[in-house]
Amino acid sequence: MRRDLIAAAVALRIGAGQAMAGWTVLAGRCLFYILIMTVLSALWDKVADERVAGAIALPAGGLVLYVLATEWITLSLPSVHLRFEDDIRSGGLEPHLLRPKFYLLQSLAQSLGGTLVRLAALGVTAVAWLLVTGRQGPPAATYPYLFVLGVLAVTVGMLLYAVAGLCAFWTRRILPVMLVIQKLMFLLGGLFAPITLYPDWLRKIAEATPFAAHLYWAGVQALHPSGAMFLQAAAWQALWIVLLSLLCLALWRAGLAKVLREGGV
Amino acid sequence: MSAVITVKSLSKAYRYAKRRGGFFEAFSPEHVTVEAVAGIDFEIGVGERVAIIGPNGAGKSTTLKMLSGILEPSSGEASVLGLTPWKQRKALAYKIGVVFGQRSQLWGELPARESFALLRHIYDQEAAPFARRLGELTERFALADLLDQPVHRMSLGQRMRCEITASLLHGPNLLFLDEPTIGLDVTAKAAIRDFIREHARDHGQTVLLTSHDTRDIELVCDRVIVVNQGRIVVDQPTDQLRRRFLGRKIITFQSAGQGVSLNLPGVTRRASEAHATILEVDTKLTRVEQVIAAALADGGIEDVTIEDPPMEEVIAEIYASTHAA
Amino acid sequence: MIGSLRLYAAQSAAAIRTSFSDRGNFAIQVGGMIVNDIFFLTLWVLFFAGFRSIGGWRLQDMALLFGLTMSVVGISGVFFGGYRDLAATLLRGELDALLTQPKALIPRLLARESIATAWGDLAGAIFVLGVFAKLEWADLPALLLAIAAGTTVYVCASISFASLAFWAAGARSFARELTDFMLLFSSYPGSIYRGAVKTIAFTILPAGFVVLAPMGMVRHPSGQALAVVVFGAVVYTAIAVGLFHLGVARYRRGASPSI
Repeated sequence: MRRDLIAAAVALRIGAGQAMAGWTVLAGRCLFYILIMTVLSALWDKVADERVAGAIALPAGGLVLYVLATEWITLSLPSVHLRFEDDIRSGGLEPHLLRPKFYLLQSLAQSLGGTLVRLAALGVTAVAWLLVTGRQGPPAATYPYLFVLGVLAVTVGMLLYAVAGLCAFWTRRILPVMLVIQKLMFLLGGLFAPITLYPDWLRKIAEATPFAAHLYWAGVQALHPSGAMFLQAAAWQALWIVLLSLLCLALWRAGLAKVLREGGV
Repeated sequence: MSAVITVKSLSKAYRYAKRRGGFFEAFSPEHVTVEAVAGIDFEIGVGERVAIIGPNGAGKSTTLKMLSGILEPSSGEASVLGLTPWKQRKALAYKIGVVFGQRSQLWGELPARESFALLRHIYDQEAAPFARRLGELTERFALADLLDQPVHRMSLGQRMRCEITASLLHGPNLLFLDEPTIGLDVTAKAAIRDFIREHARDHGQTVLLTSHDTRDIELVCDRVIVVNQGRIVVDQPTDQLRRRFLGRKIITFQSAGQGVSLNLPGVTRRASEAHATILEVDTKLTRVEQVIAAALADGGIEDVTIEDPPMEEVIAEIYASTHAA
Repeated sequence: MIGSLRLYAAQSAAAIRTSFSDRGNFAIQVGGMIVNDIFFLTLWVLFFAGFRSIGGWRLQDMALLFGLTMSVVGISGVFFGGYRDLAATLLRGELDALLTQPKALIPRLLARESIATAWGDLAGAIFVLGVFAKLEWADLPALLLAIAAGTTVYVCASISFASLAFWAAGARSFARELTDFMLLFSSYPGSIYRGAVKTIAFTILPAGFVVLAPMGMVRHPSGQALAVVVFGAVVYTAIAVGLFHLGVARYRRGASPSI
């Protein structure tokens, strides 16, 4: 067990190194982050200014910080689904099956390494953007808590992508599965607005899903930092990390049994 | 001498759905069963270097996959280094090294150095012995300049040297090589063959190799198992096989005028075309350069091609002769 | 002229047939894009249900914008699909074969590919424009003109971005990102843009001329609105053709980077 964790830690380090080596791609992503924040902040500022009769009341201070956090997480996610699809359908699992370590853990650890680098780079971009646009950010003391929730959030997101990728054992193209999962992440996770603003019936559905654990909690912590909410958020995220990991494990075992029996997919 | 590999009545049948056109047919597909391996038996001892050869679809790769644990057999038993491969895959993984000629085992986007670093921890190797082994192999294969290059940017020859290095870093006692020299040029093939032979000899390794190239067998292995349609056809030391089936070359001469006619021992004429003369040469009786020199002396030669007889031919001959015997 | 159009039609038809060839894949791509478009439509319906209006824009205005954007992306993708990966094509040196042939370059480069997902965008556009945009039949000519002008600006802007590849190899992925940024600006209500951002949306990333000005012309047709739309289309066409041919001249001199 200990040796498995050491190997996973090395994979994580190497994944992080790879992300840093590809810094031009990272810079492109940071630029996209700035542009989308420009557009989304214009949107939410306008809504906050207008106060149309009969409209839902926005939280004090508007939603810009919320969207800053949800986009921060979304843009950090690794494309594990593509990697799994490629390895599974092209027989690329074989070399990994011939080694004494667990493929799923190793590849997720490597992807997580890159994700952490992206999280850091985009986080720095967010702080810089706040400074340049003269906006009030969350209090500096809350940054460590935000970072923790951010790491848990991308882990939930990565596991959701992993579930989509593992479907490659059974379907020819995972694109449809991936699209549905991704859109559910945006809609039920509240990428553009907190789920608390949704109609009641939709909010209740969203809260019960892992998608809210992925985006909503970190976003809301950026908007209204609170110790109690931090603990609640971390608990929900930890719960979903465990459940999704078990799901991934079950999918992996079933898929692996198929590969070992049939020599491929 | 205890056996490294023991195989008893090993079989593998694949069942797949045959797709038929039409909407309703899609719900009741016809199932076809293909027997890739149909009951094979053999034993391999410590330090033996064995080749498994056969035409495409003969069951070579399937056998290798079952022995390395990544494929479950339909029936039969096998024991590799005292373990049942498909039941104890991870335990076995520590003790074997595998090289696939047609698939990369390294992480393509990573520099070779990082792949090796990952492998060190995957196989739980201590830093010092690992560094020593890596140093030796880097020197032997001249990898020093390649270590920082991403694997997917390397040429095939460079990549194969890294792949073989990767398979040996954890000091395995047993090596599985699936088409290790495929696609390589003559020099690279020779280098790899020499290395496998010497390394195995020096470290007491057992080697199981599949190949289409008869020279791989002649120069590396001391025993040959021929499979055809999932069954073992021949299992003999290379020496015996060499005398009868290996050590031949096919030489094709293109000439402007009439064909070449030679009268040398061990040289027979095959079915030839208008401007091409195809000769089969038994190199134990007459060397290739003698044949070429004689033909050139005749004059009018425009082009020369020297090839090994196709593996299919060799197999067919072996099969035919063992049946006749 | 007619001959060139016929040639273009033939090439484009061949590219479209190729995109159909793998039926299963085609269905997945189109279906996926329709899911994608339904999703964003749902978001906007929810948004306007909650916030009623933004800067004077209501759901039907957003639907018109969305429908126009999808129409532009759809038509560009089906009939001018080569625009999307143009920078990569140029950097791969695929110009060489075309340069020796007598026909114009840009049409050849555009007609060589047809993008499957664009059919999903077209289907989505028809649905959104028909159901949510509150249009009359009398609006149809203005709508068609808006789509035509918008497609012209969108494709020409993409050609301009791709032409950067003649000067810098790093432009390959960046050109495609610039096209995506342009789409990003075209996907939100125009009323939210102010100041520097608005300037960018009407110049470098001309979302303004792709959808915002054409949309204004559909809602409030007037000679002035028409003039602005046509002006945008003409100017961006000129920039694209000029920049591209400057780049080709540089390429011919052997001064361009390649992979």
